[in-house]
Amino acid sequence: MRLLRVELSRFFSRRAVAMLLLAAALLTALVAGTTIWGTRPVDAAEQARAEARVQAITSSPEYKRDLANCQESPEDLFGPGADAADCRRLLAPSTADVVGRVPLALADEVDDSGIAVIVIVTVLMIVAGTTFAGADWASGSMSNQMLFEPRRQRVWWAKAGAALVGTGVAAAVLIAAFWVALYLVADARGIGTGAAVQTDIRWMVARGVSLAALAGFGGYALTMLLRHTVGTLAVLFVYAAGGEALISLLPVERSGQYSPAENVFAWIRDGGRVFDSSIDCPVSSAGCDQTFQLTLLHGGAYLAVLVLLVTVVSAVLFQRRDIP
Amino acid sequence: MADTDAPVIETTGLRKEFRTRRGRRVVAVDGLDLVVPAGGVHGFLGPNGSGKTTTIRMLLGLARATRGEMRLFGQPVPHRLSAVMGRIGAVVEQPKFLPSFSGRKNLILLARTIGAPSSAVDSALAQVGLAGRGRDRYKSYSLGMKQRLAIAATLLKSPDLLILDEPTNGLDPAGIRDIRTMIRGLGESGVTVLLSSHILAEVQQVCHSVSIIGSGRLLASGAVDDLVAAGRATRVRVEVGDPVRARAILEEDGFRVHHEGERLVVSGDADEPFDPEMVSRALATRQLYVRELTPVRADLESVFLQLTRDDSLVSEPPAAGGAA
Repeated sequence: MRLLRVELSRFFSRRAVAMLLLAAALLTALVAGTTIWGTRPVDAAEQARAEARVQAITSSPEYKRDLANCQESPEDLFGPGADAADCRRLLAPSTADVVGRVPLALADEVDDSGIAVIVIVTVLMIVAGTTFAGADWASGSMSNQMLFEPRRQRVWWAKAGAALVGTGVAAAVLIAAFWVALYLVADARGIGTGAAVQTDIRWMVARGVSLAALAGFGGYALTMLLRHTVGTLAVLFVYAAGGEALISLLPVERSGQYSPAENVFAWIRDGGRVFDSSIDCPVSSAGCDQTFQLTLLHGGAYLAVLVLLVTVVSAVLFQRRDIP
Repeated sequence: MADTDAPVIETTGLRKEFRTRRGRRVVAVDGLDLVVPAGGVHGFLGPNGSGKTTTIRMLLGLARATRGEMRLFGQPVPHRLSAVMGRIGAVVEQPKFLPSFSGRKNLILLARTIGAPSSAVDSALAQVGLAGRGRDRYKSYSLGMKQRLAIAATLLKSPDLLILDEPTNGLDPAGIRDIRTMIRGLGESGVTVLLSSHILAEVQQVCHSVSIIGSGRLLASGAVDDLVAAGRATRVRVEVGDPVRARAILEEDGFRVHHEGERLVVSGDADEPFDPEMVSRALATRQLYVRELTPVRADLESVFLQLTRDDSLVSEPPAAGGAA
């Protein structure tokens, strides 16, 4: 525990880590601010302008022509069973359409800004874990530390624990703060959030925090293996530049199940459907689904195996290799 | 249980091989048998690339030995290194600390690793004359200050064995004097100091005993006075009326002779005891009388140069193959 406390102190004292945490906080605040601003209530003046605009649109000859065309054959436009009333209901613009924003709904944000925040925090936590380990190698201070604690596995795991806990705590604070901010704003605007949505959000926060912590840990483990921050960042860059494209070219069905990105999203979103061009859809088959389900369990297992592999190789080689 | 009278450092048949990037095998240490008795300052000498630092790194668990045995305080290392590391302070090659942390912060992290209090850090900083600069960033330190900080780190443990690799590198004359005084004082207080240095005069001034290695092998070991004394009788400076004829006579009798201005420097066969009286007798029997005969006082440098020159002549051919 003493060593873990030392490494946590080293983690949070690193200037680069502090800058990354600050960047994560600012970006999270930016997403929260954008969301809050973009869903602000419509004031009286805006409402009046929007109503006038709706009036103008519905009075225009173009609209009247479109409505008439629709009412002549509603099923052509809106499918079987549609009638003339549907044309008026669906073609007429609403004031909300004109204003261009909808009220804040936390249920909608789960699939929108909630994911964005988790992705941002996760990426920055990978870099934090990476730079935490990379600084020890770049400065050569690893060998100095080994003169005070020569048991290599203890050192590896204490640092790993610091990366996991440090990034986990930071992610928990940031992601939780994001949702608390949205919840308080929604509450202040008189928008209720149902218990089911709150439960969904709690689980999403838990998944997001665990993902970000695992990312920090993974970045650390990979850097301890490559012994260079730039090496790890280069691996991530190469993956970002072409890794997903290469995976999609794998000559196997449902290659998306091997994609880190798809599995990350399956984990964040509690499972999801993944597009797969290898699923045949005959031209005649209406409503054919070219997607398959990637479950939360699959995403979690995939990410766990990936991190486990890097961890084992990194820890074993740290034990065996000479320390510069 | 370790034998309390055991040498502080003991290596037997120690060997270290490594491969270059091109796959060529290099032998850095080749069957080294090293014994450092308890107490006093022991010099560890050898030309660049002779295996000094590699030996130190193996002793400290930073590099793996290919073959051979090592003991510190009678304990086999690296197996039992953690049991004795608390008694060892070491500076290996360049000082290595995190550049963005202050000197004090770097030491505090190391101190916490071994459970030492912050007061130990302040005391160590004061001992090396860095009390006033402890809160400055390490990267702002001069080389000499970095060296002092590295020595301060070794003092955090109150070590029984201090391993110092070129500790006066980068220090100004006053700093060199301070560090030498400190090393001498530590040696006299019962701490065993292994001092690896290129500065032979420094070693002769500070060390009680010395081991000289070349090409990864032990060339000589013993008390400094004994080594120097052994070299004292091996050369004499001779002044005669006819140096050319004197040289011919002496070479005929098996002496090695070279000119030094108007004088001759005469040495015996390295394998035979050398008696300066034989020089004057050899010349006198041929009617050449010595005007002046001065024993050339050997110093550690001349002993070192002779040993390492001989070694380089012997070891040159197999060096390319790597195997001994």
